[in-house]
Amino acid sequence: MRFVLRRLAFFVVTLWAAVTLNFLIPRLMPGNAALAMMSRYKGRIQPQAMHAIEIAFGINTHQSLVHAYFTYLGNIVRGHFGISLTFFPDAVSHQVLQALPWTLGLVGATTILAFLLGTFIGLVSAWRRGGFLDGALPPIFVITSAFPYFWLALLAIWLFSIKLGWLPESGGYDVQTTVAWSWAFVGDVVRHSILPAATILITSIGGWILTMRNNTISVLAEDYVRMARAKGLSPWRIMWTYAGRNAILPNLAGFAMSLGFVVSGAILVEFVFNYPGVGWMFLQSVENQDYALMQALFLLLTVAVLLAILVADGATAVLDPRTRDRS
Amino acid sequence: MTAITAAEPTAAPGPEPPLAEARRGYGADLWRAVARNRKALAGLILLMFFLVLAVFPGQIAPHDPQATDFAPGLGASSQHWFGTTAYGQDVLSQLIWGTRQSIIIAFGVGGLATALAVLVGVSAAYLGGLADGVLSLVTDVLLVIPIFPLIIVIAAYEKNSGLFTLVIVLGALGWSYGARQLRSQTLSLRTRDFLESARVRGERKLYVIVFEILPTMTSLIVATFLGGALYAVLAAAGLQFIGLGDPNSQSWGTMLYWAENNEALGANMVLWAIMPGICVAGLGAAFALLNYAFDEISNPALRMRRLDRPIDGPRTDPVPLHAPAAPDRILEVRGLTVAYASDDGPVIAVDDVDFDVGRGEFLGIVGESGCGKSTLLYAIARLLGPPFAGQIMAGQIVFQGRDMVALSERQLRHVRWREFSVVMQSAMNALNPVLSIRAQMRDACRAHSNLTPKEIEERSRDVLRLVSIDPVHLDSYPHQLSGGMRQRAMIAMALLFTPDLIIMDEPTSALDVVAQRSLMMQIKELQERLRFAVVFVTHDMSLVSHFSDRVLVMYAAQVAEFGRTRQIFEHPRHPYTQALLDAFPSIRGPKVHLAGIPGSPPDLARPPAGCRFAPRCPHVMPRCTSAVPPLFDVDRDLVRCVLYESGEAPNDALATASQGAV
Repeated sequence: MRFVLRRLAFFVVTLWAAVTLNFLIPRLMPGNAALAMMSRYKGRIQPQAMHAIEIAFGINTHQSLVHAYFTYLGNIVRGHFGISLTFFPDAVSHQVLQALPWTLGLVGATTILAFLLGTFIGLVSAWRRGGFLDGALPPIFVITSAFPYFWLALLAIWLFSIKLGWLPESGGYDVQTTVAWSWAFVGDVVRHSILPAATILITSIGGWILTMRNNTISVLAEDYVRMARAKGLSPWRIMWTYAGRNAILPNLAGFAMSLGFVVSGAILVEFVFNYPGVGWMFLQSVENQDYALMQALFLLLTVAVLLAILVADGATAVLDPRTRDRS
Repeated sequence: MTAITAAEPTAAPGPEPPLAEARRGYGADLWRAVARNRKALAGLILLMFFLVLAVFPGQIAPHDPQATDFAPGLGASSQHWFGTTAYGQDVLSQLIWGTRQSIIIAFGVGGLATALAVLVGVSAAYLGGLADGVLSLVTDVLLVIPIFPLIIVIAAYEKNSGLFTLVIVLGALGWSYGARQLRSQTLSLRTRDFLESARVRGERKLYVIVFEILPTMTSLIVATFLGGALYAVLAAAGLQFIGLGDPNSQSWGTMLYWAENNEALGANMVLWAIMPGICVAGLGAAFALLNYAFDEISNPALRMRRLDRPIDGPRTDPVPLHAPAAPDRILEVRGLTVAYASDDGPVIAVDDVDFDVGRGEFLGIVGESGCGKSTLLYAIARLLGPPFAGQIMAGQIVFQGRDMVALSERQLRHVRWREFSVVMQSAMNALNPVLSIRAQMRDACRAHSNLTPKEIEERSRDVLRLVSIDPVHLDSYPHQLSGGMRQRAMIAMALLFTPDLIIMDEPTSALDVVAQRSLMMQIKELQERLRFAVVFVTHDMSLVSHFSDRVLVMYAAQVAEFGRTRQIFEHPRHPYTQALLDAFPSIRGPKVHLAGIPGSPPDLARPPAGCRFAPRCPHVMPRCTSAVPPLFDVDRDLVRCVLYESGEAPNDALATASQGAV
């Protein structure tokens, strides 16, 4: 129980830190970004939008910093993220909810697939030590893990869209198809997701493969694997329940740490493909200086990472009785 | 401290603990390791290439990178290797000038992040208490908050931020991963002897941190730096690409930004968009390769070393047996030689060993740490070979009439556990931590029988009762049992099929003396009841004296003496056996001064010429160092010592020899 409580406390603190960073960063920046922006927008946008900015940044409201902070916290807790400038007069929360399914479908599914596939390949290549997989994979994936996501996305577009014309180069779906639950639309969405998904998969899978391979190699030298061999168990059984199940535990912990990296890569991939997800919207908000939207999206990304860690925690508890005893 | 009771750091030249390498990681060794590693070498060359470009762009670049002197959008030519931009600039020159910024960012961020990681990680671990709590929390929070979006948020408020700001922001946010690792490494070091001694000497904390702790973590610090540099190169390129950098700066990311804005890919200026990415990937790969190579260097298990001609495994031409197996012998080992691969060539850990075990016999194998006992044991069980270090190079292991050395892994599986089973030194490590005792018993049963689940359950309960464990513990996981119980559970598991031979590798040495004794009694009792043979390795002579029928004394990979227990304890012949016995207290005998054996066993990579015990032997003679003495048969026991050349106990010879040695 104590373990669960400690973990929960950690999540709360992390969320609080993200919210506070959101609050503090614009106020700490030199040359008050908010004021500069207001003067730029003056007369160009509706008064309500102006007022939304004023509230968001605590300008012209003669509040103290502390008071402003708590007002801000209160708004966040109640889900009031303000009005979007980019999509005026739409509420930020509404916009975010529109973008979310696209990112969950693309980045979420691809990340899980990359993790499962990478873990499996890593396990097999370590198990067949010195085999073809083991000889070829590490050098290849050490190098691909250094590829910039967005650059690979550019290459993919150039080759498969511009040169070969096989796949669409941008967007989440063809604007000409009607948005509905039809085979045509779903097929179109899938076609649009292949290139961005492949880009994320290729660049993120290497990390999982390499860490799982190295974990498995360490685990294979453990006494309990030797013992399993001595017991004459089938290689299949040893690989999965003796080597694999133990080797994946540190990988699940590493999942949390690497996820931030995957998320940042995905943002750029969405940007390059003009994919209508959270990452693309995030960069749009940055470009349009739509700070309310940007802050909400940053918070959302943090929550997404925390949720993924929660899932990894759960999986660890299922696989490792020692963690269960601690909780 | 006697050499015998010394800890096991040099047990076998197999995989060493990572720390051992990390500790001598600084200095010449590290460089040698780097030079030998192909990935490290490739990374180093790549990094050097970019460093040269970064330092001398003016001398190397053919054109002014900003000059818009040429026709826009030219293809590759001898004038412009990578064509020109939409503004008529030379792409190659821009690339060369752009290197400098990436290098500055890589080294600046890498350095800053590493410094912060060391500062936070090491002080958190070393200070402990509240400081550790707060610092660890900050580290963990920063680790989870998506850094890149956070940097984008910061950059959004501070547009067109310069190089300096970029380095500071990336560095200040990118230290958490390294800090976490350094903290846990420092924690594991805190209780080490050398730090305890520094504390006792009254060294100041800062001194201890800088001069005692940091040098041992060279590999990890280097890894932190390389990881930080890689992340910085990629993150900076990404930021510049989306237009959050200074658009007038000379960098690869900015080039990509302009290329993307001018739709270079669609407008046939492909090289403009591709080459900067290749440069980013190249510099990134240099850091990634070095990082990976360092991982390999500091964790020897990741490196593969192979021997030229191991003979274990199936062969087309099985070596004929020297002599037909005697019916009362369950195990006959002939000329068994086992080698480890090391960086300095093969190391013979078991050298031409012969012995046999009778049905129901209890054979003890004794010797100091690092003399090849455990290796011998695992060779017999055919548990060497990848992924474990060590391979059988010659010899036969005739078990129940078949040569184990020539069996394939598949054939071995049928013999395993039904006919012989293994009990290891530490059940904590030998039992799978994530499976219950029941599941681990079930695995073994299913592998070798068609027992129904109910029969398996009953058999598991039976064997637990045999070793006096309540069957409720079938549902327990290894970590829930006490040390003694775990060890018993492992022995119970070894009894599942009541095998003919159980191989035991110091099964009691992890226990306290009382538990040790009761476990030994139990093993002996079971052995007499169920009539299985035991090969029992230990470095504790007193255990062997009470329980074994015969004793094999090993020294430096060879058999030193092999004979009946009674005989050996009453009349030890080999000077090494004598020394071993002198180093152990007798339980009931009079109080005598315990003599340790001076010196330590030889390095098996470079064994001394002649008798291997000669350098430590009190009776050493000139002829001892000329040739390896054979095993002499003295009254049906075997001794490898020239003193027994004539075949009988040379009382006079011993006396003269010891006079000569003084």
